[in-house]
Amino acid sequence: MPKGYFGQYVTIGIFGLVGLALVVVTLQLARLVRPNVPSPEKYTTYESGIDPIGQGWVHTNVRYYIYALLFVIFDVEAIFLFPWAIVFERLGTQAFIEMIIFIGILALALLYAIRKKVLEWL
Amino acid sequence: MDLSWLDAAIFAPLVGAVAVAIVPSRNLSTLRLVALASTIMTFLLSLGILVDFEAGTPGFQLTTSLSWIPEWGVGYKTGIDGVSLWMVLLTTFLMPLAVLASWSITRRAKAYFIFLLALQTGMTGVFSSLDMFLFYLFWEATLIPMYFLIGMWGYDRRIYAAMKFFLFTLVGSLLMLAGILFLYFAAGDNPTFEYQALLGTPLALDAQRLLFLAFFASFAVKVPLVPLHTWLPDAHTEAPTAGSVMLAAVLLKMGAYGLIRFAIPFFPDAARELVPLVMTLAIIGILYGALVALVQKDLKRLIAYSSVAHLGFIVLGMFVGTLQGMSGGILQMVNHGLSTGALFMLVGALYDRRHTRLIADYGGLARSVPIMAGVFLFVALSSLGLPALNGFVGEFLVLVGTFFGYRWWVIPAAFGIVLAAIYLLWAYQRVFHGEPATEANRAMADLNVRELVMLAPIVALIIFIGVYPKPFLDRIEPSAERLVQQLKQSSVVPGGGVAEGP
Amino acid sequence: MEMDIPRIELAGIAPEIALTVAALVILVVHAVLGNRFSTWYLPYLATLGLVVAGALAVIVWDVNDLQLSGMIALDNFATFVKVSLAVFGLLTVWLGRDYLTRDRLEESEFYALVLFAVAGMMLMAAAADLIVMFLALETFSIALYVLVAFKRRSTEAQESAMKYFLLGAFSSAFFLFGIALAYGAVGTTNLYSTGPEADSLFRFASAGPSTDLDLLVLAMGLIIVGLGFKIAAVPFHAWTPDAYQGAPSPVTGFMAAGSKIAGFAALIRVLDAILFPLRWDWRPLVIGIAVLTMIVGSVLAVVQEDVKRMLAYSSIAHAGFVLVGVVAANDRGVSGSLFYLATYGLTVVGSFAVVSILAGPGEHRTRLTDYRGAFYQRPLLAGALTLFLLALAGVPVTSGFVAKLVVFGAAIESGYWWLVVIGVLASAIAAFFYLRVLVVMYMQEPIEGVEPAPSGGWLANGVVAITAATTIVFGLAWGPLIDAAEHARFFVAGG
Repeated sequence: MPKGYFGQYVTIGIFGLVGLALVVVTLQLARLVRPNVPSPEKYTTYESGIDPIGQGWVHTNVRYYIYALLFVIFDVEAIFLFPWAIVFERLGTQAFIEMIIFIGILALALLYAIRKKVLEWL
Repeated sequence: MDLSWLDAAIFAPLVGAVAVAIVPSRNLSTLRLVALASTIMTFLLSLGILVDFEAGTPGFQLTTSLSWIPEWGVGYKTGIDGVSLWMVLLTTFLMPLAVLASWSITRRAKAYFIFLLALQTGMTGVFSSLDMFLFYLFWEATLIPMYFLIGMWGYDRRIYAAMKFFLFTLVGSLLMLAGILFLYFAAGDNPTFEYQALLGTPLALDAQRLLFLAFFASFAVKVPLVPLHTWLPDAHTEAPTAGSVMLAAVLLKMGAYGLIRFAIPFFPDAARELVPLVMTLAIIGILYGALVALVQKDLKRLIAYSSVAHLGFIVLGMFVGTLQGMSGGILQMVNHGLSTGALFMLVGALYDRRHTRLIADYGGLARSVPIMAGVFLFVALSSLGLPALNGFVGEFLVLVGTFFGYRWWVIPAAFGIVLAAIYLLWAYQRVFHGEPATEANRAMADLNVRELVMLAPIVALIIFIGVYPKPFLDRIEPSAERLVQQLKQSSVVPGGGVAEGP
Repeated sequence: MEMDIPRIELAGIAPEIALTVAALVILVVHAVLGNRFSTWYLPYLATLGLVVAGALAVIVWDVNDLQLSGMIALDNFATFVKVSLAVFGLLTVWLGRDYLTRDRLEESEFYALVLFAVAGMMLMAAAADLIVMFLALETFSIALYVLVAFKRRSTEAQESAMKYFLLGAFSSAFFLFGIALAYGAVGTTNLYSTGPEADSLFRFASAGPSTDLDLLVLAMGLIIVGLGFKIAAVPFHAWTPDAYQGAPSPVTGFMAAGSKIAGFAALIRVLDAILFPLRWDWRPLVIGIAVLTMIVGSVLAVVQEDVKRMLAYSSIAHAGFVLVGVVAANDRGVSGSLFYLATYGLTVVGSFAVVSILAGPGEHRTRLTDYRGAFYQRPLLAGALTLFLLALAGVPVTSGFVAKLVVFGAAIESGYWWLVVIGVLASAIAAFFYLRVLVVMYMQEPIEGVEPAPSGGWLANGVVAITAATTIVFGLAWGPLIDAAEHARFFVAGG
């Protein structure tokens, strides 16, 4: 194993090369053993089982974006709560207050979103 | 607080400017009267300076010293010696006359007078500052009012002229600012902007050379020395009459004053080294200015170029290193201010009547305006150095001083005087004699009472200095002597002065 | 496992907390009450938040401490910047009030975003850890991206916000990469050591010739690049003219004043305090940037026909002048740069206040030709703009002159007189375009038949009056401010 600061990058480089090789080798192996019967359906884009229609550049309703944003906020909140729960007992009231502030600010954001009618679909 | 007449004279015009600002702008005659009254008041205050000033001492008098920004060693320090005394008085003396010469300004007169008065504070401040920060403040403060005076009330190419004037001067003065800062830090552990503390700051010779050039750049543009003079004909020609008068009479003197007050005493060794260069430029200025003046078709431009020639004389006298040269140069600053100021006023009077500055449009005016012709001839003779008039005293001293210092340099300088006689008298002849170019010239009105009042004091002073220059020279000479000594001193320290750096 | 519970000391970030609370209150109160009532109370809330933040910053003057596990520096340097920022924020809020009511834009979000941005900028000045610095940078940058696009319906605003956002994100990546390399080199992102064993960038940089500094120097270069975007230094200035032109004028003024002082605060802390031992490594780079910035900013401003764009290039040039003070890397350089940034901020907010008023509803009058004869229609506004432009040009009697004097003085003190000569020549070029505006306003008559320049509401006029007054006051009586700047020292361990 190479040593030193830059040496560690060499390790990463080797790892990357091995990973790349794995993909290439397995795909080539599969190619040797599989039957080859092409048909038009097989060349279409996979879209969760629905037939792809029209162009790729379609307008998506901007509301999806805000939904996604809200989702991210609460996703992060949830993720942050798990480690907090583990050390909660040891940190005591201080941690409790901090988490109240954290959730409080997010609650305010939700309140703001509601008042701005973000959660109403049309 | 111990303030002197000097400080009063510096700031009185600002009070006048506030007074003008209060007057409603429609009330033209009140505006004029308030401006006139405040400039006359300032002149009377400055007479107090003359009374308090002790002749025969070289040092600074009427000094005021107030703490201002102690953190950076900036103080409000003012004072005058025999050189600045006459510059301050010249300014305060000419200002009421410049206001009188502004009667033709009817458009936006309020702003006009405010700028004119602000200009006066700047000019007086430049001549009396004994602190480099304060000096630079006033130095630049003259720039803005003059810029607006040229740009707003000038003639056709006023914007071009105003821009050129501002930028030329600014480049020079910014270089000087860098120089001032360098000097400030070279002075020692306790940096100060105070003028007298900075004198004799030990500097290495090459540092001195660079710093001298930085200061010289600023002052040479202002004087102006050829080849940095190109802004001058434009600015003088396009400026309104009062602007041209103040520009020629006082603003150019700021350059010459700066050379002897700052550039030489701070960096005497570099100055000595560069004397031949400066003298060559001065001689070129004398001859070039005169020759170009000779071929001008525009009367105002002609006088502008004559200024280049005259300022060449002044700088020549200052750099030859003799007492006569120095005193002559200083006296000539006053003389040039008076005669060129009067010439610009006369051209302004002509322009007010006929709205043209071209010599070819005039001719034969002596019959219709005999008084004006007489005054013009008289002032022209003073300008070209006729004995018994003021110009003679100054130019004679400069020539004598040059003779003692650098014998052969007198020849081209004297030739310049001959050329001056030619272009001024020729211009006089073309304007006032011969056949009138148009009918309008025959019916022209002669000088009115206001114009006579404005020119009479100058004429009187021209005669007074020409006949009896002693009161002037008595006050100039001690200071001139000291300035000459300063040129001979040395403040070189090998390797000294420069701080840490790559 | 024993755990170090960080001491909770909030004095260092109290101003930021106050601002955040005020911003949240503004958002929620307005969201709950809606537009049923008028919105008169919103600017009061914003003002209150900023005043409290400023006061909280001032009361810790002369405290020398590290807080929150060495994340926040509580020193006079940060305090000076925070107070300046609070003032810029106040002026922006007041100016914004007039602007928003005139152009009928959403108010509550504007104030909240300004407060968030100010909070981020304040944190930037106090950051004692590269990660906190990055956090602060992102906080105020994101707020500014939105503020630039605040005129949602205007395509110019969208374009400029997009450019600003993309280049800003790009610069953040540089900055982050720099932090990563610094961590790789030193093993910590802390700037100051908190204990006898704790490592820090400062300790590492001053450890002596035996340490291998290559990686840290590389990191330093990337951090300079990242911050160079924020202060609009050449060659990282490309976003500036577009963003400045497209943003609402009050926001432009705020960006020029606030973004610059915050970016410079971080840069000065990193270079002049922490990496001072490496000055012979960073100086060539910073000198190069400074020279380019001064010259390119000044020269390109000359050809601009839009006043906002011209002021944008002028702000680039000014970044170059401040960099001269940074290069000096002495006490006068730090205090001079702070003085410069504070006074420049006031002047530039004032200039954009005048621009905002004269531009009229929808900001359609920002071309140079729209200013024809402005002096004859709005003498006071034109007079104020004249004063600001002269200050930007560095003409005496204004604060701009003193600012140039102190930074150039600092550079000369450390021997960089030739850099100062380049600086003064660049400012002579710069004077040309300030004069152009004066020519148009004073020396050309208004075009016949064109409606006269609009006038402003009392708040906007008040902002102009305040900034004009400070421009003069700090030009004549600059003692107290330079004194404060000279006392704005960095945190010193054990000091």
